[in-house]
Formats: sequence, structure tokens, C-alpha cells
Amino acid sequence: MSEAELRTAVAGHRWLQSLRLRPDLVTPGLKPEAQLKAEEAALFDTLNLKGAHLLEIGAGNGAFSFAALRRGAARVLATDHLAWTLPGSDALSATQWAAHALGAGIEMSPLDPRELTPRFGSFHVVMATACFDQLFNPIQALRGMRSVTERVLLIETLQDGLADARPLMMGHGQVLPIGGPEGSWVFGWGPNLPLMTQLLTDLGFSRVLYRHHPTLGAARGLYAAFLPEAPDGLLEGFHTPWINVTSPQAA
Amino acid sequence: MAKPAALWYLRAMTLPDARISDAELLTRMQSFHWWHSIALRPGLTTLGGKSMEILAQEEDAFLAPFDLTGRSVVDVGAWNGAFSFAAKRRGAARVLATDSYTWNHPVWRGREAFELARAELGLDIEAKMIDPPDITEKLGLFDVVLFLGVFYHLYDPLDVLARMRRITRQLLLVETHQDLTNDARPGMVFYPSDILNQDATNWWGPNPALMLSLLLQLGFTRVFYRDHPTLGRARGVYAAFTPEVEDSLVRGFDSNWLDLDVPGAIEGLLTP
Repeated sequence: MSEAELRTAVAGHRWLQSLRLRPDLVTPGLKPEAQLKAEEAALFDTLNLKGAHLLEIGAGNGAFSFAALRRGAARVLATDHLAWTLPGSDALSATQWAAHALGAGIEMSPLDPRELTPRFGSFHVVMATACFDQLFNPIQALRGMRSVTERVLLIETLQDGLADARPLMMGHGQVLPIGGPEGSWVFGWGPNLPLMTQLLTDLGFSRVLYRHHPTLGAARGLYAAFLPEAPDGLLEGFHTPWINVTSPQAA
Repeated sequence: MAKPAALWYLRAMTLPDARISDAELLTRMQSFHWWHSIALRPGLTTLGGKSMEILAQEEDAFLAPFDLTGRSVVDVGAWNGAFSFAAKRRGAARVLATDSYTWNHPVWRGREAFELARAELGLDIEAKMIDPPDITEKLGLFDVVLFLGVFYHLYDPLDVLARMRRITRQLLLVETHQDLTNDARPGMVFYPSDILNQDATNWWGPNPALMLSLLLQLGFTRVFYRDHPTLGRARGVYAAFTPEVEDSLVRGFDSNWLDLDVPGAIEGLLTP
């Protein structure tokens, strides 16, 4: 692949994420490079990914999958549903170009997380960013993700209803640059912290940790949910601002 | 002797329980816990948790706006069958009553109670034991789908609402507990354990803005709303129409109903 070919490919795709493919070449993505880097640090600096098998849900252009590979993950499977399957979508093709340019050996597969079952296999780490934002049914998607998680589930999501102490989620619609030329209207949710804690606990996660988004504060939240099988040492990297929000019923 | 015996046999086949005495029927009625109060014979009404008066107002609110003559109807969460019976009496050609939770429940024994009422009323109604999360296109396509008092009892109501869409040919009627009703933004509240009415089977309280969003997302093209006839805004009734709906099914929705998908409709439901 020549530099000219790469630049043509970058210009010929709509990008969800701003990926640095060369020192002087960054894809013009919806999510800025600085925010991606901050999210990567917040999600991954806590965990030792060396040798881990990681499944990413809603990979977009693969920024976090590429990061996981750089951080030593032995197997990375990047997946997306809407952005990779809606008619007219070019995000998968864009991600393939990026993987090629970065020389990153990740697996890629379109996947609806609602359809995940244990038959799909299992992964030490399962992660999903912009998780509830773009899912019509996050309840089912979380159940799917849980079914393939061996140790820890990492979630980054829009949040809402933060003033209410009761568990709840608010509906959100947005137009994303996926599907046809005009983009697509995608319906999703902003849950609050009590709801996330409850849903994750109901799925059998025994410890749930939380922190605000590194650059956007409480408008978005990061969750790390651990299964009882996860070794205690796995939690060692989770310092302030992470807090344990495990519901009392789980203990 | 042969003739009366044959006659008795014939009657027994067509009207299985019609020959039991009032006293025997009463004994059988009293062996169940009823949710619906249903008049089985003059002077013999099941003692349901929900009174006949309230059921009559609900039936009028839910079923009177449209003509059921010749339609196919499925009643999801039929329990003792009051709305299935009402739909049949209002001329539906085919009525399928489905339930699972209350029909299998060791205390409610809803299926046996439903069967007693069905046999006694002699109504031609089909019954199928199926849990709403298991319903697929295989159940068939129905002109009218009744989804009354079920949404908020589901841990995953989003999945089941999508399933209801797939079996609706023309009209889906949803009746549900509501919450956040003074919020114009779509949302729903989750109730862990039994915090809503000390009932551990209550999971979610959506608001009208959310129900509108969900129903439109699922491909319904018009959504009408009314408050519950006796409980007001605490519960809502939604009539969601598919693009294929016949005009005659829509016309009868009167001023008790609000077209939700017009600018200002949701805001109009808020109390200042």
C-alpha cells in the first residue's frame, strides 16, 4: 500500500474515530484523538492486558482494539453492529484500512451483541464504549456480553437521570454518520449509576467499579464489572477516581 | 332409556360443564383465586381482585373505539380471560388467549380458572400457554394485539414489545403502569426487588414520551394515547397502528384519545 493509496482511502471514508495512522496522518473522525486517548487510558491503564483475550463491542473504527493489541492482548476481536451492517455503511471497510495501515493483527466481525451466547466463546475482557447510547435494547445486549465474559466487562456509556436516586434510563436519539449518505437516526439510552449497578449485579457481576468520564465528567460513565471468578489481583490497578459501587444485595 | 342417555351424552360433549348445578359451579369458582370478576351465570360472578365495574370501564376504554367484527385478536397476558371474552362478544372472528406466569402460578392457577370460565361461557376461544419473551412470528399475525398490564411486569420489556410488533397486523393496544409522567423526555424507571407496590414482578415504569419513541422505532406509524379510565395518568393506554391499518380501525378513537405524534402532544400531558 502506497502513501497515496492510504491517503485516498482515508479521504474516501467517513470516520467515526480519529486514528493516528502515520505521524502526520489522522483520520478525520467524529470522536477526537485526545478524547480517545483519554478514554483508552481511563479504561486500560487499570488492567494488565498482556496475553488477554479481548472482545470489543461497538468498535467503530477499532481505536480501542488497536490500543488493546499495543498493550499486549494476545487476541483481539473487534465487532460492531449498526456501523458495520447498515446499508451504505463504510465503517468496517475504514477499519480494515486502518488495521492494514497500522499493521494491527486484530480480528473483525460484524456482530449484534444481543445475539451473543456462550457458544460464541469466552473472553477475559469484554468491552463496549458508547454502549447504551446506540442500543435499542441494552438489557439484552448486556446479557449477551455477560454470557461471553470470563473475568471483567468494561463499559463506557452516556449517562442521564443523574439527579434521580432511583435506577432509571432516559431515551436518546442521535444522527450518526453511518448507513446512507445522510447518516442514520439511532435510538439509545442514557442510564444512571443506580441502574447500571443494578443491571450488572443482576447479571452476576459481584464487584462493580465506577468512575466519571476522564474529559466529559458525569455526562458519561465508565464501569468495570467483575465476575466472582476474577482474581482479586485484577482490581489492583483501580485507584481513585474509581469507586466501588457494588450494590449491598450483591455482597 | 337409550334415547335420554344419548341425548345426555351429546349435550355433555357440546356443553361440557353446562349441566353442573349452580352450587357445584360456585364450589368450583371458589376453588380459585380470581383476578377478573366475570359473570358466569345470573347471580354467579367470580370474585376477582378487579371488580366488574372497573373491568367494564376498562373494556369500554380499550375495546369500544373500534369495530372488532371479523377481526383476529390475540390477548397476551389473558389471565382469567375477561378481555378475550369481551373481544369475542364484540364480534371478533378469532380470539387467542395466551398467558404463562398467571396460568402456571401455583396460587393463581390462572389456566384452570380461565378454562372454567371459557367452558361456562361457551365462547369459541383458543388458548395457548406461552411466555411473552417466547412469542415469535410463529404465533401468527393478528389484526389486533392486546398487551394489557404486561409491559411493566417484564425485566426486558423492550424485547417483548418488539415481539408484539412482529405479530401485529393492524393495531397494538398497550396498557401499562407509568412513571416520570411529568417529564417530556423519554425515560423509564427500574424497580428492584418489590419496591413498586410490594410486588416483585413489577420491573419498569415508562413515560408517554418513551412509549411513543419505542412504538415509532418499532415501525408503528401512528400512536394514540389515553389515561387509564379509573386510575388516570398512573397508567396509560396506547393504540399503535401499523402502516397497513384499515381506516375503519382508526376512525372510532374519540376525544378521549390524543394523537401523540404531533408537535406539542407530549408537552400537553405535563402538569405545570
